[in-house]
Amino acid sequence: MILARVIGEVWATRRDPRLARAKLLVVRPHAIYEPAFATRHLVATDDVDAGVGDDVVICLGAPARASLGSDDTPVDAAVLGVVDRVELSAEAQTAPGAAPGIRRALGVPDGAGHARGEPASSARRGPSGEGSGTL
Amino acid sequence: MFLGRVVGRLWASRQAAGLAGRKLLLVRPETAAGGEAARLVVAVDGLAAGPGDRVIVAHGSRVRDLTVGVDVADKDIVIGIVDGHHLDAGGADSVGSVDRRR
Repeated sequence: MILARVIGEVWATRRDPRLARAKLLVVRPHAIYEPAFATRHLVATDDVDAGVGDDVVICLGAPARASLGSDDTPVDAAVLGVVDRVELSAEAQTAPGAAPGIRRALGVPDGAGHARGEPASSARRGPSGEGSGTL
Repeated sequence: MFLGRVVGRLWASRQAAGLAGRKLLLVRPETAAGGEAARLVVAVDGLAAGPGDRVIVAHGSRVRDLTVGVDVADKDIVIGIVDGHHLDAGGADSVGSVDRRR
């Protein structure tokens, strides 16, 4: 599974008929996975009503299809859950490439040398201009 | 899946039987910030996409089996043609608009 942030939505009228009811989100895997995703984004189906700005858990492959109720949907990525909270060790928080957005959005205490904490109340729709750079 | 833009078609007179009669598209994946990736993907067209279309490409043998058939020798399949998409500006920025692989 992959931690990612929802950064957009996609609409497609012409699509495989088995996808007709699927909501499609554009998600950005957090920086820790960056080498594995040359496109820097994934399109994933959403069954859990995630929105732009949410941190989500994505799974790929057969489990993604299974999450839609059957193995007969031609997709390879699905949102399985909306993340409420993440705890990272101090070491992980300060490591290069650590997902800065997780700390910001979810109000995890800042690690040394970082001053990006925000109240959890603003977590769901974080302002722009934060969390940039490590990718 | 990923978003990409169809940049061309591909024909081959000598090809594996698994590609015979299949419409092959050259798709350039997009980065989340709206840029373009350095590499191209050859995808089988499961709809009726053409050059210039922005498409959704899914990958895998199961996806292929469900869409274009089990005998096709390609696992990247166009499963949607995009009408529009909205990207959150802040989120896109934090993806990194500079593709370091170029």
